[in-house]
Amino acid sequence: MVAVVRPSFAIVVCMIAAITVTSTAPSINGRRFFDDDPIAREPDSQDASGAAEWEIELLVDLSINLFATPGRNTTNVRAGNINTIDEVPDSNWFTNRIGSRQITIDEAVRGPLQANGPAPGRWQVVATKKAGFAPGFTMRDADGELWFVSFDSAGYPEAATAAILVANKIFWALGYWQVENHLVTIRRDQVDIASSATFKPPSGKTRPMARGDLNDVFARAHRSADGSYRAVAARGLPGRIIGGFRYYGTRPDDPNDIVPHEHRRELRALKVFGAWTNLVDMKAGNTLDTVITENGRGIVRHYLQDVGSTFGTGANGPRDYDEGWEYLVELDLVRQRFFQFGFPIKPWQTAKYADNHAVGRFEADAFDPATWKPRVPTAAFIQARADDNFWAARRVAAFSDEMIRAIVQTGRYSLPDDARLLTDVLVARRQKIAKHYLNAINPLVDFTLSPNGYLRFRNAAIDAGVGTPPVEGYRATWSTFDNATDAVASLGPATFGANMEIAPPAPLPSAPGAFVRIAIAALGAEHAAWGEPVEVYFKRTDSGWRLIGVERLR
Amino acid sequence: VIASGPSAHPVHDGPVIARLCLICATIIAFAMSAGAAIAQETREQTIVAQQREKATQVKPYEPNKAERLLAQLQDTLVVAPKGFYPMFGSVYSGGGFTLGAGYRQYLGDRVNWNISGLYSAKNYKLIELALHSPRPLSGHVDFNVAAGWRDATAVNFHGLGIDSPEDQSLYRMQQGYVGGDISVRPRHWTILRTGLGYEAFTLSNGPHSHPAMNELFTSETAPGLGESPDYLHAFVSAAIDTRPAPDYARRGSLVEIVYHQYADRDDTYSFDRVDAEVIQHVPILRESWVLSFRGRLQATLDDNDVVPYFLMPSLGSGSTLRGYHSWRFRDRHSLLFTAEWRWMPSRLAMDAAIFYDAGTVADRLHSLSIADMKGDIGFGVRFHSPVLTPLRIEIAKGSEALKVVFAASAAF
Repeated sequence: MVAVVRPSFAIVVCMIAAITVTSTAPSINGRRFFDDDPIAREPDSQDASGAAEWEIELLVDLSINLFATPGRNTTNVRAGNINTIDEVPDSNWFTNRIGSRQITIDEAVRGPLQANGPAPGRWQVVATKKAGFAPGFTMRDADGELWFVSFDSAGYPEAATAAILVANKIFWALGYWQVENHLVTIRRDQVDIASSATFKPPSGKTRPMARGDLNDVFARAHRSADGSYRAVAARGLPGRIIGGFRYYGTRPDDPNDIVPHEHRRELRALKVFGAWTNLVDMKAGNTLDTVITENGRGIVRHYLQDVGSTFGTGANGPRDYDEGWEYLVELDLVRQRFFQFGFPIKPWQTAKYADNHAVGRFEADAFDPATWKPRVPTAAFIQARADDNFWAARRVAAFSDEMIRAIVQTGRYSLPDDARLLTDVLVARRQKIAKHYLNAINPLVDFTLSPNGYLRFRNAAIDAGVGTPPVEGYRATWSTFDNATDAVASLGPATFGANMEIAPPAPLPSAPGAFVRIAIAALGAEHAAWGEPVEVYFKRTDSGWRLIGVERLR
Repeated sequence: VIASGPSAHPVHDGPVIARLCLICATIIAFAMSAGAAIAQETREQTIVAQQREKATQVKPYEPNKAERLLAQLQDTLVVAPKGFYPMFGSVYSGGGFTLGAGYRQYLGDRVNWNISGLYSAKNYKLIELALHSPRPLSGHVDFNVAAGWRDATAVNFHGLGIDSPEDQSLYRMQQGYVGGDISVRPRHWTILRTGLGYEAFTLSNGPHSHPAMNELFTSETAPGLGESPDYLHAFVSAAIDTRPAPDYARRGSLVEIVYHQYADRDDTYSFDRVDAEVIQHVPILRESWVLSFRGRLQATLDDNDVVPYFLMPSLGSGSTLRGYHSWRFRDRHSLLFTAEWRWMPSRLAMDAAIFYDAGTVADRLHSLSIADMKGDIGFGVRFHSPVLTPLRIEIAKGSEALKVVFAASAAF
């Protein structure tokens, strides 16, 4: 008798087998953790010297982000550039500084500064400022080095320049590649126009620059009582400039750019850093990519080039009241306000601001980290998850009051009240950010496993002063872990600790190469999220247990 | 062919299954080999493999169609508007929905010449050649020269006075003009302006759908009827303007006085007129709402001068009495008050407003009376930029009609 098998059934069986094999291929061929995990540096293995300059037009950038909004649907995709212990490796996007290692106040105050500012003497203007709305120009100092100069707008002394100087240090400490900004004082008579300088008037026809063009720049800048002008000089970046980057997708001409930008944690984290500093202008034009040479290869380095759109001032005076609170256009709000005659009242309409021209409209009382918004929807912010926000909030919380105060001093505010206001608001917003984001997920960090199997960790929320110890302590669930198959086997009943030290239920494997997985949760905590366990993985080495994996959020 | 059931083609099942299994085995083998091919020994190798893979596909960035279009719009309309561009404007009040196009080229850094044409739903036409020189002399001076021809084919005329009947005649007005003006800003909030132009009018009957002007009116009831005078028109004005921009503002005020001298080449219809205007925008709760007020007086200076009917101060539609027909009320003097309550569905681009207009006209200045005022109430939506109002759509109800206004400028 011949067994009759329905072809459709056979197809289904074979296809399921094929799909199963395909989907489990990494488990068959690979491992969850490699020997070099967790990596500390993201490699740039390919030559990117062919990356070409592009220009992302402001209107295009704004329109796409406002109305097409790439990545507008939250995907809950884990950040694509983190290592196995939930950290961001160093890269040409990011360098681990505060929150990863000890940063001294001196370091933070120095920030990205490598050398002195423009060489004194006569300076030669080579072009007027092309990007942004602040008055400025490009010049060469007495030594011929290139600088990008940006002034305070007329009527708003110290506002824009101080914001640039302070934010520059903050974002450097946070880990971003930053331009080297120096405070300078310029007198009109020390500036010449280079013979090669050109100017592009409204006609669009580039021509040699004239004194009148420079006078127009100075006319828009704030003039001090002694006739001088306060400005920030940004050192020309090394390498070949190829334009800004977007907060979604990848550069098609950079072979090393493989993680979509909306899934890069350090870009997602700007949602939290931006909320802290009110960095509202998230346009591609405020970023800059350059091609540098490393190990004989062209590599693209990504700068947050202009972080001056921070705190309470813009290039030409105080921010609009709704900046930081609403996108430039929100169709639902437009509809609501249209039919409700402008109601309901939103917090920005009643938030109280100090009457301060230098710091502008920057406050902490009404500020809500969860509802803060940049000018336009930003794909990386939309995709940010609780673990990304937690990672960022830890870094914000790592700024001490003293460090913030010292960094604010670099803005060289002439009135102590201005510096005090900015410091106070930054400190207060830091606490709000820490309280919100460190408690939105299990906040346990810094896991170690002693050779005798004792698990130790810290609680980032408690460390930041925004959480209280859970009344019932912590619970740890212990398992062995098979790195090849992901299989786990219990090591015994869960163990508990009132403090942040928990003993194992049984002796742990002692063979080098063995893995254990420990799931740790807080019990009786005031925040429900603390009860969701964080899973940590340790690998046995000759010298003890090495942390190799952290999963705070699946 | 894959059968749909066991009884359909049972004899073929064996070979079919064999072939299917072969195919699936191939898929499985391929999947496994692919998995093996991508298996790496270290994390770094896995990343490098992905980068190597992308290196085989790198290509220069190519903007898509939408990006190209947006970039073109930015270049044309925002950065350096030159070459051909579309226009939405007005030929003459009452012309209805109007579209057109222009062509602009630069002669210097900022000096540009511009030729433009507009055509309206009511067959109104305008063609203009203009030379515009913004901001010479360190940005304190604007200089403009223009020559053009306008054809308003069906302009309302209801007679003179606030009690003029609703019935109307229509006339056609063709106007050729050439002239220039210069404005100076000694301070950013003060504006001094003067100009001189030659204006040649040709008046004739409008469409036959309405009675001809000379059937309903005489030179007594419509001064200048049957005449087509040419004027040398000079004006001088002074203003204090604290608004952020004249064509869109949520705060600030304007106080302006303009003196016009219309010199008829035959001196028959020469007259002088003064226009005085006051505007105040009162922002509420950080410009979430704005109360806007406007008052305007147009007064002919000499009671003995004869002002032709088509150049008399008038009220109706546009930005005056918006619930009435264009040019509904005319006389030698006019007085207008407007109040608006505006709210901002979008602070970036869209305002809404409820407004009330009231105005009157009279043949003597002292006869302008609040008691005689005609009023209307309306609702409007304005699409704007920080400095311009390119589209204003309003609906207003006066005592005679419900009117819809399309305009390419702020109400005031």
